[in-house]
Amino acid sequence: MGYVSAALLASALSSMAYAEIDARAMAFNCWNCHTDSNLDAQSSIPSLKNLSAQQIQQALLDFKYDKRPATLMPRLAKGYSDTELAAVAEYLSRH
Amino acid sequence: MTGLSRRRFLQGFAGVGAGVLSGCGGLPFFSGAKAHVVVVGGGFGGATAAKYLRLLDANIQVTLIEPKAKYITCPGSNWLFAGLAGLDQLTVDYQALQDKYGIKLLIDRVSSLDAGQRRLRLAGGQSVSYDRLIMSPGIDFRWDAMAGYDQAAAEQFPHAWQAGPQTLMLARQLQAMPDGGVVLLAVPADPYRCPPGPYERASMMAYWLKQHKPRSKILILDAKRSFSKQALFEAGWTKHYGYGTANSLIEWHSLADNPLLELDKPNRVLTSEFGDRFRGDVLNIIPPQTAAYIALQQGLADSTGWCPVRPLTGQSLFDDFIHVIGDAAHYAPIPKSAFAANSEAKACALAVTSLLNQTPVPEAHWLNTCYSLIAPDHGISVAGVYKLDAADAIAPVKGAGGVSARADAQVAAAEADYTRAVYRNLIADTFG
Repeated sequence: MGYVSAALLASALSSMAYAEIDARAMAFNCWNCHTDSNLDAQSSIPSLKNLSAQQIQQALLDFKYDKRPATLMPRLAKGYSDTELAAVAEYLSRH
Repeated sequence: MTGLSRRRFLQGFAGVGAGVLSGCGGLPFFSGAKAHVVVVGGGFGGATAAKYLRLLDANIQVTLIEPKAKYITCPGSNWLFAGLAGLDQLTVDYQALQDKYGIKLLIDRVSSLDAGQRRLRLAGGQSVSYDRLIMSPGIDFRWDAMAGYDQAAAEQFPHAWQAGPQTLMLARQLQAMPDGGVVLLAVPADPYRCPPGPYERASMMAYWLKQHKPRSKILILDAKRSFSKQALFEAGWTKHYGYGTANSLIEWHSLADNPLLELDKPNRVLTSEFGDRFRGDVLNIIPPQTAAYIALQQGLADSTGWCPVRPLTGQSLFDDFIHVIGDAAHYAPIPKSAFAANSEAKACALAVTSLLNQTPVPEAHWLNTCYSLIAPDHGISVAGVYKLDAADAIAPVKGAGGVSARADAQVAAAEADYTRAVYRNLIADTFG
């Protein structure tokens, strides 16, 4: 019980950290390519479903700072601040 | 998306909405009545706007008005010329938008708009009132640009710049052309729908001609001095189609200082201002474009032929209650693409829900990615990330976006795969 409450509190605090950023306008654009339909089809573009905020954030930062090669994502990730990428990751992990 | 994940998705949005609207108790601004947003045009802009309005706020009623029960996508339509797809694979309907999101669909055409009364009259006689109107009507053609090329001439010399029967006609003309024949591909000046589209079209035609009529030639007659992804296209044409050699399947000619002025239909000749004559067996003439006529009729366009908007909300400069998105609207430097229309629609849906709920409109973010196929195993891309600058004008974010890195075969093959995957997913995100 105490553990659950602590987890909820941590989650609430983490949401508050990005409260000044409305991640929706950025995150909606991720779904142009990363749709859940990927779960059914054999798509070369990964679904973001079932990824944690931390996993998505790390991937975005790695793309932005050229630590992870890819054809497109490095060009896109450079368009956002680290804080924005964190907010997007947090939003996508919840939806 | 599966039904289950979509339901979870909707619940997620409901949670967010409850937070944003806490204390509002629905939409008191409309004294108990649900707000009604009408979306005109069921392409990538309109369909996305309708869907995301409902995802953002299920209290808003959304009506989508579109003349055709089924929509054939322009993206992917060049694949027909290479024999890689048929029109049936590019056809979508509006069933999911109705069933999954509760959008009301009216298969009809807008005959008039009374902006003062916020009411549309449809060709079928029905009258529809709105609290806010989102116009995403697409393009129409300027038939006064080239002497001899009008709507009737387009039935013989297709533009194929709206996918459907025109695309089929052009593909059949290509297939019927004798080996050694010449295709003329006339390309307008900017801005127009899908900047890299003509060059992808030339590529897809060349891919088919190389196999079936290898002595043929495609002459691109361009009103511009340069074009989208030019270095990548030319490198691909050199690799696949002998570009730069005497036997090249593709030649590109800039006629920026010497525009094409006249079509001689009986002789299949295009004549330029300086009197150069280009004779072809197949003539694909892509005319200059404007916002769709409905937008012009309603006074939503300026002297450029496109609709100026306040980018943050997409509101027309001429009417606060009308938003314009997609190819019809002026969102430059964002190019006129299906992907961009989808992105503009999402920003607009966020703004419209905010305005209706009297909450602050969030900062807008736009994205564009355009993939093109040079050959079935060779794809290229251009991308842009856009925000408002200090003067509230749309600007590309510095250091982001740009074209594919000079492609090795592996990157080219990966981007060809992404071209098809992004097409499928953009359809799912827009219509599914």
